[in-house]
Amino acid sequence: MLTSPTAAPAGEVTRTPDRARRRTLVLLGLVAALGATALASLALGVRDIHPAVVWDALTGWAAGAPLPGDQDHRVVVEQRLPRTAVGIAAGAALALAGTLVQGVTRNPIADPGLLGLNAGASLAIVLSSVVFGVASPLGFIWFAFAGAAAAALLVFSIGAGRPVRLALVGATVTALLTPLITITLIQSSTAFNLYRFWAVGSLAGVRSAALADLWPFIILGAVLAAAMAHRMNMLALGDDVATALGQRVGTTRVLSGVAIVMLSGTATALVGPIALIGLAVPHAARRLVGTDYRWITAVAVVLGPVVLLVADVIGRVALPHSELEAGVVAAAIGAPVLIAVARGRSVAGV
Amino acid sequence: MTNSPANASPLTAGHDAIPGDLHLAVAHLRTTRRRRLGLVLGGCGAALAALGTLGLMLGDSTIAPGTALLAAFGAGDGGDLFVVQQLRLPRVLAAILVGAMFGLAGALFQSTLRNPLASPDILGIAAGASLGAVSGLLAFGLAGIAVAVSAFGGGLAVALAIWFLAWRRGLHSIRFVLVGVGFAYLCQAFMTWLLARADEREAASALLWTVGSVADIRGEDLGILAAGAAVLVLGVMAVARTQGPLALGDDNARALGVRVDAARVTTLLLAVGLVALATSFAGPVAFVALVAPAIARRVLSDGGPALLASTAVGALLTLTADLIGNHHVFGVTAPVGIVTGLVGAPYLLWLLATNERKERR
Repeated sequence: MLTSPTAAPAGEVTRTPDRARRRTLVLLGLVAALGATALASLALGVRDIHPAVVWDALTGWAAGAPLPGDQDHRVVVEQRLPRTAVGIAAGAALALAGTLVQGVTRNPIADPGLLGLNAGASLAIVLSSVVFGVASPLGFIWFAFAGAAAAALLVFSIGAGRPVRLALVGATVTALLTPLITITLIQSSTAFNLYRFWAVGSLAGVRSAALADLWPFIILGAVLAAAMAHRMNMLALGDDVATALGQRVGTTRVLSGVAIVMLSGTATALVGPIALIGLAVPHAARRLVGTDYRWITAVAVVLGPVVLLVADVIGRVALPHSELEAGVVAAAIGAPVLIAVARGRSVAGV
Repeated sequence: MTNSPANASPLTAGHDAIPGDLHLAVAHLRTTRRRRLGLVLGGCGAALAALGTLGLMLGDSTIAPGTALLAAFGAGDGGDLFVVQQLRLPRVLAAILVGAMFGLAGALFQSTLRNPLASPDILGIAAGASLGAVSGLLAFGLAGIAVAVSAFGGGLAVALAIWFLAWRRGLHSIRFVLVGVGFAYLCQAFMTWLLARADEREAASALLWTVGSVADIRGEDLGILAAGAAVLVLGVMAVARTQGPLALGDDNARALGVRVDAARVTTLLLAVGLVALATSFAGPVAFVALVAPAIARRVLSDGGPALLASTAVGALLTLTADLIGNHHVFGVTAPVGIVTGLVGAPYLLWLLATNERKERR
């Protein structure tokens, strides 16, 4: 809405082939970057492993060969491969969910966290620790997922039908749940200790085991998100226009809501509330390929994992004797990206 | 904005008729609005008086309402006088003052930036203040007034950083909001990281600071807070006139003779000042600045910025929350910032849900 009139040159239409080529190039470049970061994620860490060894380990694992006694092979297959897989899955899920939320609410500052999902997941985790005595991250994954889904259900049932209101309801539900979390944390030090390490957001630890349970949600959510992309384009023109173009706006909202819960709930359960990826990646994608949601979705699904993996790798090598959690690094990367996008010549209205 | 059909109907009704009818319709609309504002403000004022009296009465020793009110004005015997004047009255006044400041600041942010989510909670100013305080507590081992100063510094630094980064030939709302949200997440992430790194007991006390409390604002602190608030409110009164046109969009506001950039810069400076001042004394009392204006706008439902009503609702919300938190209603003595969300959010949700139904009908 703030696109300045000078930003769109008159020759826009004639440059369309250029633009398509540019978009394809951007996407290909990002896929290559994803390959590189995945390799880096497998190779770098406390123990640096040569790419050739990584390759050997991977091919051996893929062929189903038993693990050799080699320590490097074990590190790659048993620790870094699951961690990288979690990073790719969670990064893609967060970015897709963010794209959907921004499209559905038509609010550029909306992200899954703002719809109350993170607060719901946090409250569920804290309560699971206090009420059921859950003490390990693996134990509270389903609680986190259920909490996120419940919060989203509440938000969508009150806010549905009015995009602006949806974001406001989400923020209000967060305002309602956050104090409950804080009260519980003040009363229970076990819950506080569990929570404060989860809330940073990290790819390390046993959470990777949960990916085996949760991956269908991510796949389903991603398929739904892809199916919604074209509808988002029409929705961006306003509810009335979208309806006039033959779209059932209500159906779009419900389906998008389901996809958002699946994607964001899974990601939050897996890696904690790493919120900024869901907010910054769609904006960066919009900057790279324009306002067509089909392209934004395609770019986001690749760019999200790149950002999360890069954050994780940086966190692993930044400090000499300990790790920086991916959540902190992702915020340190994502915030400047978001600010740079916001400073751009034309901030596209969502 | 929320009530555009209701606003439009009298106008369009008068459109085809003779101008006299139009004047009548507008006059009617104005009277209704004024009456509604009067009702809301009167209701908030009465509730504030009642709850304030309750706050003076309740505590370790219960004081009769008459005695408590007299003691507040300096009459009565030693014990009651001390309890009311030294302990309870400052707390009640602080709750009202801090709540009013957050409510007003939130309304200013939201009307100037034209985004109902624009509040210090979401724009990172509260998070900056929290980060300042938490890093002061955990990393530098500060205590007492130094924490307040470091919170003030944190909030102000973030606000200024948002400012400079969002400035590009004028201050566009969407840029300001996006940059602000970026900072909110950044500060939040570092704060969570600090909490995860810290010793358990220190982390718990830092967590407590980040929710906000009005328990310890008395005497000189209260005076400084009130004086600062008075100066800032005078400033707000000077720019309040521009808020209505600004809500219509930059171009319309310009057409109505508002100097958009100057108005927005002044308003935001004042709002940031209110937030930073209140936060440095009370901590970032959560969500008052987000919830109070939203409630006020819906109760008034005149599509305006609702500055006065937001101030009153903010004060009422915070005073209610402090009373609840201070008197074990949820089984714990909780600082005010924990309870504000619990008090304001359900009401706002109810308003949102019922307004929705009304509009669908």
